[in-house]
Amino acid sequence: MSERRRRFEAQALPHLDAAYNLARRLARPPLDADDIVQDAMLRAFRAFETFRGDNMKPWLLSIVRNCHLTAVGLTRHKLETPLPSDAELDLADRGLIVDDPDPEASAAQTQQGRQLSAIIDRLPHEFREVIVLREMEDMSYRDIAQVTGAPIGTVMSRLARARALLRQAWLATGQEAPHAVH
Amino acid sequence: MPCTEAFRTQAYFDAELDVGAAVEVERHLETCADCASLLSELETTRRLIRDQAPYHRADDVLRRRIADSLGREDGDRPATGRWASARWRFLSGAASGSAATALAAALVLFAVLPPPSSPLVGEVMNAHLRSMMSDHLVDVVSSDRHTVKPWFAGHTDVSPPAVDFADQGYKLVGGRADYVDGHRAAVVVYRHGAHVINVFAWARDGENLPAGATRNGYRFAFWRRGNLNFGAVSDTGPDELATLVRLIQKASGPA
Repeated sequence: MSERRRRFEAQALPHLDAAYNLARRLARPPLDADDIVQDAMLRAFRAFETFRGDNMKPWLLSIVRNCHLTAVGLTRHKLETPLPSDAELDLADRGLIVDDPDPEASAAQTQQGRQLSAIIDRLPHEFREVIVLREMEDMSYRDIAQVTGAPIGTVMSRLARARALLRQAWLATGQEAPHAVH
Repeated sequence: MPCTEAFRTQAYFDAELDVGAAVEVERHLETCADCASLLSELETTRRLIRDQAPYHRADDVLRRRIADSLGREDGDRPATGRWASARWRFLSGAASGSAATALAAALVLFAVLPPPSSPLVGEVMNAHLRSMMSDHLVDVVSSDRHTVKPWFAGHTDVSPPAVDFADQGYKLVGGRADYVDGHRAAVVVYRHGAHVINVFAWARDGENLPAGATRNGYRFAFWRRGNLNFGAVSDTGPDELATLVRLIQKASGPA
């Protein structure tokens, strides 16, 4: 194994679960999260010389995101079309109200987990990714901006709307929300 | 209408504010019921996601696939890899034509050549011919040394100078990873008029380098610099090859 590959793996592999979790949340059938992550790791390895800094996570996740978009066939142009306003986002029409959880989901998951997962997966792409990056990966606004290529202000507004949508959809399932701990 | 401080409340919740701004928000939260309620909702939503949403982890099958793919990219392949690839190209191209024809012609060419006196001359000539007959002359296309040299660092064991001499008539085309005598070699590819010149560099101590040679219309030059062996080959005239060799030696600094 080359020294270069050793260095790459030492920095990249600790973030492989994060890469896979993001790909799983982004990819819709027939796209396969495994293929996207494998492609992303290879591209990252090839571009390793261009990586600067000591935290590879945002750089690697931005490549995962780009590989997903490439797989989807989205162009940059399409991505820059404005998101619908809150008023236009009708919860029922967007399918955000979940009464039929994914039957293929693992039986080990709780009912709550399945419903929540389905809600997250039905969020529009731009909202879903900020939820994953902030709440599941605990990333800073700056790092999320790097991954998504959006300005920090945009990250903040998407995050606010994503959280509000998610909360509304969750309340609409009639489940009791866990109590906040202060 | 949401409070104008809602964004800052969210940033406070996400620990994105400096101390001064955080104190301001805390003061605001004491008097603004909307923002206090928002803060509580944010906390609830986060707990819900972190406690309940499944986190998908890469399994061993995927880790294995990635290791294999990085290994292939990294050059975990036998020294005959390029030959195996040429054979594959021959077999796969047998039905489709041109690639197979070109390879067959090249094989005939190898068969009728007299054996060169030094095995190294033969090795370099074979590598040169392979690069010419396949679509694999360069792995990285660039006339910029700042692109080619770093590429070598990641794909070969050696990192020879890759300087463009376009002003002197030798244009840097790019770089390639190859094999010479079973050793991984970095190849700097130049174009001089209609001629391609391959300059191989590989690390091996104590190897006896042949003197310059002419074989079957190809010119060869060999030299050593530091811990690197160099071999240049082309179908240019001998003087033209010697000129490039002098340029490269000069660019490499004092011997």
